Amino acid sequence: MIPFPTVDGLQALDERHAVFCERIEDPLALEHGKFHFSAKDNLCARGFQARAGSRILKGYRPPFDATPIRKLREIGGLLIGKTNMDEFGFGTFSTNSGFGIPRNPFDTERCCGGSSGGAAAAASLIPEHLSLGVSTGGSISCPASFCGVIGLTPTYGRVSRWGLIDYGNSLDKVGLLTRTARDLERYLPVISGPDAKDPTSQSQPVLDMRGEVATVAVPAEALVGLSPEVASSFAEAVKELGRNGVKVREVRMPSLRYAIPAYYILATSEASTNLARYCGMRFGVMNHEFDQGFNDFFSETRSEDFGPEAKRRILLGTFSRMVGFRNRYYVKALQVRQLIIREYRKVFESCDAVLTPTMPFIAPRFDEIARMRPLEMYQADFLTVPPNLAGMPHISLPCGYSRGIPIGMQAVAPQWAEGSLVSLARSWEESFHYRFPEVTA
Amino acid sequence: MDRETVSKVAKVARLRLTDEETEQYAADLEDILSAFSVLDEAPAIEEYDLGPIKVEDVLREDVVYRDSDPAELREIMGTKDDWVRGPRLS
Repeated sequence: MIPFPTVDGLQALDERHAVFCERIEDPLALEHGKFHFSAKDNLCARGFQARAGSRILKGYRPPFDATPIRKLREIGGLLIGKTNMDEFGFGTFSTNSGFGIPRNPFDTERCCGGSSGGAAAAASLIPEHLSLGVSTGGSISCPASFCGVIGLTPTYGRVSRWGLIDYGNSLDKVGLLTRTARDLERYLPVISGPDAKDPTSQSQPVLDMRGEVATVAVPAEALVGLSPEVASSFAEAVKELGRNGVKVREVRMPSLRYAIPAYYILATSEASTNLARYCGMRFGVMNHEFDQGFNDFFSETRSEDFGPEAKRRILLGTFSRMVGFRNRYYVKALQVRQLIIREYRKVFESCDAVLTPTMPFIAPRFDEIARMRPLEMYQADFLTVPPNLAGMPHISLPCGYSRGIPIGMQAVAPQWAEGSLVSLARSWEESFHYRFPEVTA
Repeated sequence: MDRETVSKVAKVARLRLTDEETEQYAADLEDILSAFSVLDEAPAIEEYDLGPIKVEDVLREDVVYRDSDPAELREIMGTKDDWVRGPRLS
């Protein structure tokens, strides 16, 4: 699945690594409150290509900064690089990139998770580093869990999406991956806030960083289908939270079973319309011959430069929106989203957060991934998809290790209540010791 | 989900698929859509929206600025006599 590296390839990698080390270790660059950060490759930044993991965007250099990048740069952030990802965010393991596959820092035979895989690897490997990630259906939580870092996905609409290359407009959220709660306290207020360039960001109440998680609800539906190591680590973490004074209640959330189909129908419907703009003109690759009709021209570029998973999702999304199927799939999925939002709200009447493991298994090996059917990959997202569908803020925190490989738990809070999740991260890291991979030169 | 439907959908989506791809995607989508038929059991809700939060349109003032060099843009877009080139319309 992963091609064997060539000598030239390794040399190029060495050179890139040397430049990278210079940038992050330059003491002059980091004085006066400056800090370094990276951004997922679907966030536009002046001075960098923005390819969103897709060959169809190769060579695209946006002349502007996405709002969250602009805001971090304004307070002294040094953007040191863009991080690899599944093509347009289409994946759970970051194995669907047009530009190589990031490897898990704890075990290079395993994946980083996806789709913000490179962002999680950077946060895990580089001390004092902030990674900007993006989640549509779990793309921050999943890689954070697999790479043993904190991943915060804010409420839909909390952070401006201006300058983000869209996947699903009603689902995309920019968030943070990092090693410490302190970074969330520092940088979440920076990237949050209304932006005239993104109307969805303008309905938000002011960010309140206070709040706490005193009671958590654990849905019984989330404890089915877990690998034994995830089940036991999660049970241990729940006990530890109890010892810290957090009350734990078991609840039922029967609508969660509809979350995966509803999410994949909505996300692919939106993606298939968003991706209509990639046709070999205006963005990225433009090396095709114009002497054919426009339909043939567009079809040729799209067929050559979209990867297999992008095509699969375009087909699924286009089908879901077609006359005769729209009500059965797309409209039903919109209704299910409301159903799930109502179910969360009911639970939040008596609890501050919903707690589950983040992923049902630890980071799989690449040979295991190669044997999975697309449907099985989609179903692996059954714990991360519900809060994303509902636009609820959520956080993944490291909560255990199995044979040295990290395991994560995920807490979901009511819309706009990010502050309580940050406070949970703060208290959790005081009682649970995070491990980070050893890096040798 | 048969091969014929996949071919029809691919045409709408401006994707050209090989026979092998058509076969593979037909099998994948059949697998996915039969699992997704659980949606038929979900209760219908009268009120629903296109997104998870209420969004109101807010207008802003236009701001005029230049973010790229027109000469560079002409070059990148492969213009000819200031015309943007594209494929034939028929």
